[in-house]
Amino acid sequence: MKEAIVLGIVNGAVWGVLAVGLVLVYKGSRVFNFAQGEFATVGAYVAWLTIAGLGWPYPVGVVIAVAAAAAMGFLTERLVVRPLFNAPRVTLLVATAGVAVGAIQLELIIGRPEVRVLEPALSGRGASVFGVLITPQEYIIVLALLLIGGGLAYFFARTRLGLRILAASQDPLAAQLVGISSKRISSILWTSAAALGGIAGLLLAAAPGQALSPGFVTRNALLAAFAAAVLGGMSSVAGAFVGGVVIGISQQVAQFFLFDKGVPSPDVVVLMALLLLVLLVRPQGILGKEV
Amino acid sequence: VATAEELEVAEIPEVDLREEGPSRLAQLRDAPHGGLWARGLFGTVLLGGFVVLTLVADDILLLDLQRVFVFAIAAISINLLMGYAGQISLGHQAFFGVGALTSAGLVTEMGLNFWPAVAGAALLGAFSAGILGIVALRLRGLYLALITLAYGFFAENVIFNIRALTRGAAGMPAPRPDGFTSERLFLWLVVGFFVLVQFTDWQLLRSKVGRAILAVRDDETVASSLGVDVTLYKTLAFVLSGAFAGLAGALFAHQTTLVVASDFSFQLALIFVFVAVVGGLGSRAGVFTAAIFFTLFPSFASRYDWFNPEYVPLVGVVLLVLTLIVHPGGIGEALRPVTEWFRGGRFSMHHEGSGTEPGGGLR
Repeated sequence: MKEAIVLGIVNGAVWGVLAVGLVLVYKGSRVFNFAQGEFATVGAYVAWLTIAGLGWPYPVGVVIAVAAAAAMGFLTERLVVRPLFNAPRVTLLVATAGVAVGAIQLELIIGRPEVRVLEPALSGRGASVFGVLITPQEYIIVLALLLIGGGLAYFFARTRLGLRILAASQDPLAAQLVGISSKRISSILWTSAAALGGIAGLLLAAAPGQALSPGFVTRNALLAAFAAAVLGGMSSVAGAFVGGVVIGISQQVAQFFLFDKGVPSPDVVVLMALLLLVLLVRPQGILGKEV
Repeated sequence: VATAEELEVAEIPEVDLREEGPSRLAQLRDAPHGGLWARGLFGTVLLGGFVVLTLVADDILLLDLQRVFVFAIAAISINLLMGYAGQISLGHQAFFGVGALTSAGLVTEMGLNFWPAVAGAALLGAFSAGILGIVALRLRGLYLALITLAYGFFAENVIFNIRALTRGAAGMPAPRPDGFTSERLFLWLVVGFFVLVQFTDWQLLRSKVGRAILAVRDDETVASSLGVDVTLYKTLAFVLSGAFAGLAGALFAHQTTLVVASDFSFQLALIFVFVAVVGGLGSRAGVFTAAIFFTLFPSFASRYDWFNPEYVPLVGVVLLVLTLIVHPGGIGEALRPVTEWFRGGRFSMHHEGSGTEPGGGLR
C-alpha cells in the first residue's frame, strides 16, 4: 500500500508535467492538444537516438531531446494551429489528433516497431523513504515536478511575459488592445508546452520497467494527463499538478486492490470513472481558477 | 413604387416542402445539361463498370473491394454522427470492435447463424453508442471529443481485454456465412448491406427524424424552441451511428475471418475521422470516395510497390490538415458539380455549398 502511494506520486508527477503542457496550450488556443503525448514521445525518441544510438553524453542528449520537442511544438503551431486560428475549436482538435497520428507513424518508420530502452539518468539502488525503496530516477521525476511547478508559479506571478500570457488568455481582445500579440503568445505557449512534453517523455521513458515504442506516451499517459488537467480546471497550472498526483495515486491504489481480481487494466477503469465524475458533476474542476 | 404589402409578398416566397408538381422522372427529363439520357448513361457506366470489375477481379482485388464496402458502411456511420448530428466521435473503433467481437462470439462461442449474429452485433453496437450518447447529452465540443476518446480507450484496454470475451491475442474465429464462401459472393453480400445502410441513411435524412437531427446540429436552442426533442434526437443519432458501426464491424469480422481485439485501436478511430473530414462532412458521395481512397490506396501502394505502405498514414495526415485549412468541404465539395448535375441541377463549378466554412461543419 505504501509502495502504491509512492509509485502513484511518481507517476502522477509525470502526468502533472504532461498536463501542464495541455494547460499552457489551452491558455493560448482554447483547444485540447491531442498531440501533447507525441511531443513527449518524440523527445524520448530523440534522447534514445542521441544517447543510446550515437553514444553522446546524457546531458547533451537531454538538451537536444527537449529542443527537438520544442521545435515540433513550434512547427505545429506555425503549420497547423495558426492557419486554423479562427476555425471552430473541434476542428483544431481534430488537426492536433492528426499531428499525433503522423508523429506515431514517423516514429514507427524511424524507430521500427522494436522495443527500445532509455537508461535512467542516474543508476544505483536509491534510498528508502518510509521503508519504500525509491530509485534515483524517481527522485529526479519528483524533483523535476517541483522545479517546473515552482518555476511556472514564479513565471506567471512575477514576470512581465507571464502576466501578458495570463492577460491574453483571460481576454484576448483586451490584451490585443493594450499591445499584446496573441499570435506571439500562442507561439510561445505551444513551444514551451512541447518542451514540457519532451521533459515528461524523458522522465517517463527512463522510468523503471518502461520501454519506448511508437506512440507510447499517447497510449500510456495522454488520457491520464487530460484527466489531470480537467480535474484541475483545464486552465490552472497548479490544478494540473495536483490533478496529476491525485490521478496517479488513485490509479496505483486501484492497481493494488484489483491486481489479481480479474479486472483488466484497473488503472484505465479508475481513469474513466474519475473523468466521467469530474466532467458530469463538476466540469469546472477542483481548482477552477485561472492560475 | 411598391406598397408595403407587395414587398412583403416578394420577400417571402412560398416554399412547398412536399415537392409536389412534376414527378422526379419528369424533372430529370427536362433537367439542364443532357436531361435524363446523359444522367442515365452516367449512372449505368458507373454501375456497369463496377459489375464488370467484380467479374474480372482476382481474389486479392475482391478482398480489397470487400474492405472498401465494409469501411464505407463505417464511414456512413461516422458521417451520420459527425456530419448530420454535429457530434464528434474519436472513439468509433469501440462500436466497430464491439460489433466485430459480438458477431464472432455469437457464431463461434454460441454456435449461432451468421444472420442473427450480425443483427446482434448491430444491436450491441447501438447499445454501446447509446450509453455514450447519454453522456454526450451533458457535454459538447472539446469535452465531448475528450470523453469519446476516453470511451474508445476504455473499450480498447478494458472491455476488449477480457479474455473470456475476446480470447485475447489468439483471436476469435469468424467464419464466412454459408452460401457466401467465395470471395465474389461475399463481396455482393457486403455490397447488399452497404446499399441497405445507404438507403436507410438517405431515407432517414429526408424524414422528420433527419430534419430534427440537422436542426439539433445547427442550433440546439432554436431546435428545442421549435419543439424538437433535443435529448431524443441526439441519443437517436448515437444509437443509429452505433448500429451501423456495429454492423460494419461484424462484416469486418467475417471478412477477415479472425478477430483480434488489438485491431481496434485509437488509430482506427482516427482513420474513420480522416475519412469523414477528408470526404467532406455531410456529403455521402464525398465520404464514400474517401472510404475507397483510404482502403485501396494503402493496399495498392504495398502491392504494386509504389512506395512503402508505412508512409500511407502520413499521406492521410497531410490530406486531413490540408482539407481542414485549404478545402474545408473536402472531396464532397470537389465532387459537387457532378453530384448536383446528377440530381438534375446545372453543371456548375460555383455551387453554394454548405461545407464552405472553415472546418467543413465540424463544431
